[in-house]
Amino acid sequence: MKILVIEDDATTGDYVAHGLREEGHLVDLLTNGRAGLIQASTADYDILVIDRMLPELDGLSIVKTLRGAKNLTPVLFLTSLGGVDDRIDGLNAGADDYLIKPFAFGELSARVAALARRPQLKEQENTLRAGDLTMDLIRRKVTRGAVEIDLLPREFALLEHLLRRKNRVQTRTMLLEAVWDISFDPQTNVVETHVSRLRAKVDKPFDTDLIKTVRGAGYRIEE
Amino acid sequence: MTRRSMGYGSLLRSSPLRLTVGLVVLFALVSLISLGASYLVIRDTMDQSMRADLTQELAGFQAAPTARAVALLVKAEAAVTRSERRILSYNAPDGRHYGNGYLALTGDGFRILSLSEDKELSEWPYLAISRPLHGGQLTIAISREQIGDLSELFLNILLLSVLPTVAIGLTAGLMIARRAARRIGAISDTLDKLTEGDLTARVPNLSGRVDDLSAIATQVDRMAHAQQSSVAALKQVSADIAHDLKTPIQRVAVMLNQAREMPDVPPRLEDLMTRAGQETDGIVATFQSLLQIAQIEGGSPKARFKPVDLSQLAATFVEVYEPAAEESGHRLRVASAVTDGALVQGEKGLLGQVLANLIENALRHTPAGTPIDVSVARVGADVVLTVADRGAGIPPEERENVLRRLYRLEQSRTTSGSGLGLSLVAVIAELHDARLELDSNAPGLVVRLIFPAV
Repeated sequence: MKILVIEDDATTGDYVAHGLREEGHLVDLLTNGRAGLIQASTADYDILVIDRMLPELDGLSIVKTLRGAKNLTPVLFLTSLGGVDDRIDGLNAGADDYLIKPFAFGELSARVAALARRPQLKEQENTLRAGDLTMDLIRRKVTRGAVEIDLLPREFALLEHLLRRKNRVQTRTMLLEAVWDISFDPQTNVVETHVSRLRAKVDKPFDTDLIKTVRGAGYRIEE
Repeated sequence: MTRRSMGYGSLLRSSPLRLTVGLVVLFALVSLISLGASYLVIRDTMDQSMRADLTQELAGFQAAPTARAVALLVKAEAAVTRSERRILSYNAPDGRHYGNGYLALTGDGFRILSLSEDKELSEWPYLAISRPLHGGQLTIAISREQIGDLSELFLNILLLSVLPTVAIGLTAGLMIARRAARRIGAISDTLDKLTEGDLTARVPNLSGRVDDLSAIATQVDRMAHAQQSSVAALKQVSADIAHDLKTPIQRVAVMLNQAREMPDVPPRLEDLMTRAGQETDGIVATFQSLLQIAQIEGGSPKARFKPVDLSQLAATFVEVYEPAAEESGHRLRVASAVTDGALVQGEKGLLGQVLANLIENALRHTPAGTPIDVSVARVGADVVLTVADRGAGIPPEERENVLRRLYRLEQSRTTSGSGLGLSLVAVIAELHDARLELDSNAPGLVVRLIFPAV
């Protein structure tokens, strides 16, 4: 993917650009808001990663200007401000997602990947599969091999979310947002405990583990 | 709100109308008193002049030399006098009576004994003077009709001057009151919006002359402007601080990550770096809470408030925390005694923060094996969210203190946590017009948040 990163802090900018390049993306890095806007509106990018506070032109204005000009490239905001108002302001301006500093690269990478897939409309699926695991969405049944697995509704939802995004990392906050529809940063390991309960039913009785932990980022189901 | 469309009730209570009504009543009273006084004075004067006329007339008859002459004079005069204006009566010494009416002196005044044929009486009382004359008794009575006319005249003056004045005064007062009410309504609406946190609210341009109300409106606008700039300055400062502190923390986190990914990191060093990473996370969490408290206190707009079902939100959070609670040996339960919804006006993210902070607080400060009960109940017009634990609780004298920023109880100095959880809860509660109560659960702590229901 072609990604434009507009971030004025050299350390953070280099870190993000370097990490994304290692994942195989083409990355342009700019440190100035005005130059960033010009670059974003003239060249074609798949994703824009924009810091909210930038010299000359702030991130909010860049996104507003781009959206005003019907440029719909997905935007991930990076910000030091974490208030509810700031989040809503950012999303209202037209940003697609919002990441509060300091962040782990895994979180950024997972969110960039999620944004890139967003526009694709999925065809209606009735069964989801990963390895020998099958999820029947109509009868709400999960089987691994020949063994049927009993899941609570929320465990089912969690597994379904991971299955639908097979091979893509889902971070803890992304899972809280998607499965429980709450956006907050828990101080306790709440997501970990839910995943370990799910693992106890889906992975533990079997030979191979489907749900993988991605260090510093989140979880992923691998084929 | 009924403030904009002022009902008549509140209009009647408005000061301009009260003032007008007072003035009109005062004016009417003064007019009535002065009209009444003039009436009395004029009536008195007329009475006296009538008396003088009568005396003079009697004197005319007294000039007659004999009773016979008097009788003739009376007869002649009576023939041309209308009895409703004047009655002449002479009882001659020979017992005969002359005049257009027979007036006799009785114990309590004069009495008309009879009237000549075809004569009429005035509907007004008469004023009479009687004198003995040449052995007879001459009595002349004048109708007070003129005085009657006078009172009619005064009544007309009253109707033509006072009543229209009262009517015009009241109408003008009502109009002024409505105008003032509109302007006061506009000012109080603006103040409402400012109180709600919308600092961009300004008093709409009030039509009309510059007066005390428009001066107040200007002052309100000036105050709002000052408030807006100071909040903007505060936001700018916290944004700057956030940026200036978080960027280096981000750098540290980045460097720690890069260091950890170096080849051949000794386990002891990796452990140190992991712990350093956790410490930076702690710094960020504390910092984030401080920033959030400052932002909410700096005037977070309530414009984004929507109805939120508190019992549903509580159930979600209990579900999210339940496995973590079980892992730490707690029993986290939710009880909702709400059937018809527990809607409160609020911001879901912030209310979720309240639940998370209270549950995490309870998990952190209570021993394993104890229950934590979350409940939502509807009490009258309130929605009450309760989080109760069976830990050590908070001594009564410390309950105020724990809401203070960064304050921590002596016994909890060693446990993790920033000491901001409850202060953030308190700030969010205040933003939502909710009452925060800390109580003893005998043993343990009960935190109660009492929201006004939607």
